[in-house]
Amino acid sequence: MLKLANGVLVVTALVAGALLYALEHKTRGLEREIAVTKRAIADTDEDIKLLGAEWSSLTRPERIQKLAAQNLQLAPAQADQYVSLNELQSRMEDIRARVKPDKEQDVIGDLLQKMQ
Amino acid sequence: MTSATVSHSESAAASPVLAGQNRIRLLGLIFSVVFFAIATKLAITSAIAPVSEPPGEVVAAAGRIPRPDIVDRNGNVLATDVAVASLYADPRKILDIDEAVELITAALPDIDAKMLDTRLRQPGRAFIWLKRQVSPEERDTVFNLGIPGVAYVNERRRVYPQGRLAAQTLGYVDVDNRGIAGIERYLDDAGAIYTASLLEPGKDKAAPAELALDIRVQHALTDELQMAMTKFKAIAAGGIVMNVETGEIVALTSLPDYNPNAEEKKIGRDQQNRMLSGVYELGSVIKAVTFSMAFDYGVVTMESKFDARTPLVIGSARINDFHAQRRVLALPEVFTYSSNIGTAKMALEVGVERHKAFLERVGLLDKLTTEVPETARPLLPKRWGRLVSATAAFGHGFAVQPLQGLNVVAGLLNGGKMLQPTFLKRSKEEADVLARQIVREETSAHMRELFRLNATDGSAAKADVIGYRVGGKTGTAEKVVNGRYSSLKSLATFIGAFPMEKPKYALIVMLDEPQATPETFGFATSGWNAVPTAGKIIARIAPILGIDPVFTAADREKLAKQAKEKKQG
Repeated sequence: MLKLANGVLVVTALVAGALLYALEHKTRGLEREIAVTKRAIADTDEDIKLLGAEWSSLTRPERIQKLAAQNLQLAPAQADQYVSLNELQSRMEDIRARVKPDKEQDVIGDLLQKMQ
Repeated sequence: MTSATVSHSESAAASPVLAGQNRIRLLGLIFSVVFFAIATKLAITSAIAPVSEPPGEVVAAAGRIPRPDIVDRNGNVLATDVAVASLYADPRKILDIDEAVELITAALPDIDAKMLDTRLRQPGRAFIWLKRQVSPEERDTVFNLGIPGVAYVNERRRVYPQGRLAAQTLGYVDVDNRGIAGIERYLDDAGAIYTASLLEPGKDKAAPAELALDIRVQHALTDELQMAMTKFKAIAAGGIVMNVETGEIVALTSLPDYNPNAEEKKIGRDQQNRMLSGVYELGSVIKAVTFSMAFDYGVVTMESKFDARTPLVIGSARINDFHAQRRVLALPEVFTYSSNIGTAKMALEVGVERHKAFLERVGLLDKLTTEVPETARPLLPKRWGRLVSATAAFGHGFAVQPLQGLNVVAGLLNGGKMLQPTFLKRSKEEADVLARQIVREETSAHMRELFRLNATDGSAAKADVIGYRVGGKTGTAEKVVNGRYSSLKSLATFIGAFPMEKPKYALIVMLDEPQATPETFGFATSGWNAVPTAGKIIARIAPILGIDPVFTAADREKLAKQAKEKKQG
């Protein structure tokens, strides 16, 4: 009876040990994974910052103005181009006169097509 | 143990066996109690107690406070940190210094071989910088040379993606990322509490510092000023756009400027921020202050008349008008013709003491401070008498930073609410708490009327962009050369606001020593250079700032006429 009990205890101890080891191994693996992920996050943060800076540099108004002047047939909006809704009816003729023929309508679309 | 107990029971008497068994039982009991205690504790900690982070987050105090990014009011990045490598060497670990010097200088041609050699041979040195902030390629090349004792650390480098845009406002940092000037300096010095408030708790990150600046407006302002500077061959130009209701500085330009990303920034006296660190005589613009003063003390009304037929004589000095009309002028005419005689008479009626008290009230006797540390104290006459009071009334001997001039005028136009201007984002509610009443609402209404009149019929007509109800005052101050006013060198200023019935934005445009061109018919006064420049700026920024144009029937006629002229021309 005692022998059996001892045997059970020994086996339990071994199994517990093995389980503990397995668990620790797994934990270490997870810890490593966390560290790797954290570094990846830091790297990605850094990339985002760099891209943000690049985006900001590429969209600086000075550059956009130059590109727009080169490639678009648009000009800064003038005060008299603003029409409030309630006077839209009376200004329709004026607006039609401003809008150029269909050919020149989709300037940006044409430009994109050319680039492709 | 079991076998031992058995052998005991065979050989020994009954009582000792019993005693031995008791002892074993006791031991067993103790063991089970202890194990039970451990098991219970284990069960409690692992199963019952909730899984929690260690109490009190570990403070990330290891490094310095990270430098926050700077963004404009719409979140566009103005300044940010990027990672760069810096190469260093530990001379003690380098085996062959000659070879190392040869290899390093071959990889980094801009390093002086001789200098490097002497630095590496300094006895007892354990650390020298080879080159700070290198490109990734340079880093790899040098590191792959495989010289023992040569390595790199990752550092942060401040970059300004928008380049020259708003360079003087932002300031810059040194190689160790410490703020040296502008907002960058503010983040380290006076605004350290603000900087700390941006920090995300427990994280090595900070929220960006949000400025009141709008890069679109900033660019429009800079672009137009640059063109005006070239056109009128001015030696310098500057401008500010300010939100009248909140005191936010939406754009500020001072030309010539510099590239903050360059290693050698070449910042001399010329590249300083004139709008804050320079003081200038704003000339007739100061008349606006005198008019408000006279209104507020109740000395004059809109119906008052002033005799401008003869020059005003005080002691041995004679005050004359630039655009002399030689007749009795009504008060609005004194403003639109910018009559020195009329304005001086107004100041004399107010009296010297009250004149000084009023200047004190609008803050013109004190230094105006903002987040940007480079600011100048106003330059005022030391002794005040009748003559000084009379000449100061139209801006002589009275030099202030352009921002301060603009701020005072903004305060006079917005209903008399003076605000401390700010480069940081500020809401209307915050501004209302900070506002200080300097003149009565009624005085402010009179001033708005006069400013608008000056733009429709007076010297600021070229800034009246049809639809945006601009109001403004011009000033052309002769510059002091060798202690005397020079009639050749002048400073042209325009201060205005729009839309005039309830001003939202105020702006100042300044041209230093503009030259007459054929287009201006030989004139170099403000109305011919600073004013049209301001008009162009307003036409560009008003739509960006969301000001709705309103047209009267007269405006429509004018527009139609302009369109016709354009077609014919």
